[in-house]
Amino acid sequence: MLSKLLTIAYRDLIRNRRRSVFTLIAVAIGLALIITMNGLIEGALEGAMRNNIRLKTGHAQVRAESYPDGKLSLKWQDLIDNADELSAQVNGMSEVKAAAPVLWATGILYTIDETVGLQVYGIETTSPIYDPIREAMVTGDFITDDDRSGILIGKRLAEQLGVGVEQKVSLSVGTADGPPDEGIFTIRGIFSTGNLFYDEHTIFLPLSKAQAFTHTSGRASSIMIMLHQQDDADKVAATLKSPGLATFTWEDLNQLLLTTIQQGMAFYVIMYAIVIMVVAVVIVNTLLMSVFERVREMGILAALGMKGRQIMTMVLMESVILGLAGVVIGIILGSAYVVYLSKTGIYIGEVSASVDVGYGTVMYARWVLANVLSLSGWTFAIILLGSLYPAWFAARLAPVEALHNL
Amino acid sequence: MEVIQLENVTKIYKLGEVETRALDDVTLNIKEGEFTTLVGPSGSGKTTMLQMMGCLDKPNSGVVKINGQDVIRLNANKRADMRRDMIGFIFQFFALVPVLTAYENVELPLLLKGVEKKERHERTMEMLNAVGLSDRVHHRPDQLSGGQQQRVAIARALAPEPSLVLADEPTANLDTASGKQAMEVMQKLNEKTETAFIFATHDPRIVAYAKRVVKMQDGRLVND
Repeated sequence: MLSKLLTIAYRDLIRNRRRSVFTLIAVAIGLALIITMNGLIEGALEGAMRNNIRLKTGHAQVRAESYPDGKLSLKWQDLIDNADELSAQVNGMSEVKAAAPVLWATGILYTIDETVGLQVYGIETTSPIYDPIREAMVTGDFITDDDRSGILIGKRLAEQLGVGVEQKVSLSVGTADGPPDEGIFTIRGIFSTGNLFYDEHTIFLPLSKAQAFTHTSGRASSIMIMLHQQDDADKVAATLKSPGLATFTWEDLNQLLLTTIQQGMAFYVIMYAIVIMVVAVVIVNTLLMSVFERVREMGILAALGMKGRQIMTMVLMESVILGLAGVVIGIILGSAYVVYLSKTGIYIGEVSASVDVGYGTVMYARWVLANVLSLSGWTFAIILLGSLYPAWFAARLAPVEALHNL
Repeated sequence: MEVIQLENVTKIYKLGEVETRALDDVTLNIKEGEFTTLVGPSGSGKTTMLQMMGCLDKPNSGVVKINGQDVIRLNANKRADMRRDMIGFIFQFFALVPVLTAYENVELPLLLKGVEKKERHERTMEMLNAVGLSDRVHHRPDQLSGGQQQRVAIARALAPEPSLVLADEPTANLDTASGKQAMEVMQKLNEKTETAFIFATHDPRIVAYAKRVVKMQDGRLVND
């Protein structure tokens, strides 16, 4: 019997081919749209997180317990005393890919015409931690540990200041003693990470020079750690925790981004829900029209002894056929577009320059199977749920009223 | 044996403040194998009477029994079962399922009844042969003439071997030749089976086929 109900449902859809095709297109495009939205959001957030980890936070960090949250401090008590020793110890851990001390300070870069506030990174120049910057070099050379006056600046900053490689700039940096110190530095190289905010607000100089310049005497703000496996962050952080030292995982260090992601997800869920509801309304409308047009047919079936639940099943089958076909096409279209955008990306240019959340100039999409399945499942479920009304309406038609015109 | 018994059946329709007594204290018994026509002017209650007999509607008062069972108190599902197992319908406008072929239309009540595939096929073909449409089995209703559609409807009504066939103006939309052919088919099937036929009609040509004529006027039986 079920196969006959399916036959009737299928042929009724074919009978109204144009309406069925339009409904199918609505479902497919609706689902493709939310799969694309989800792919872009996933890609953007994952890209931002990856950028933040590789350029700013690493997978884990060790800092002095007193180091203030959200501020840059050069006070000796806020810094790590035995930075080299600790760094060597961390490098010895099997989970650690690379670890290196870093000193952070706020600085102001001067040229004749411009003044720019920025964050100064004093780095161990040979550490693989800075491979992303090495790979992002566009002109000049990477700095070396024994370079006493060389700095690296971002391409965007260089353009903004109108400076180039081997040109000199004046840098004023806060010191451990309080008053800032000022020096003349030579631009050894220019990097472009694609993260405009980072490229505009970051300069690098060798750690020893930074320590000398800021009067921090061999101390470091943090030991930056990159791991072989990101999932080992908690374990490594727990191992390194000791009195006077605080350890942080990439999740702790990117709390703002994670919170933004979570809040954003709630918003996107509402967006997805709206799109799915619109799709469901289209299907419900189609089925209601179909039922209204076939009141007589329902009456005939009821007169032949078809029960209400069988009529309901028949109408729901139309919804299942439309929904399944639409969802399959939607998955194919949406996934194809997401895969395409994961390769080519969407240029967002200056948008990323205004916010420090790790977006690059190109937003790449990311195809996540679980998300595609979940969105498709929800779309199909909401369609079925919405179809219950027309199906129930058809099932409760009194045969005598349905047959009224016969 | 009585296939259907109506005892003091009254049906009142309300349209706003206006009450229409479509059936007024009607008592009627139909026996197995009877070929009966209900005649009377429009509005005399013929169709309402068929609806009561066919478990399509319930009266305001009175008793309707099919094969001795009171059907008024049955729930919607049991009434659907009663229609499926006991009653065949033939309507004025043929009332075939438009997306099914002639074969599938005739097969449908057998499917609903749960008849096995082999028996279903044999019975479907037997009925299509009986109405002279064995060469039209794969045609959809819109590919058949009115007379052919009505013969498919007859085959469908009789396929599950009901105790009772209710036909509401079955020849009203047929030309003379098609109407005659349809009536002859039904008469033959009536003679071959124990199925009782009840026709509601104005058509004097149908009355000529009837073994029993029941006249109705203003919701009452005036002559039997």
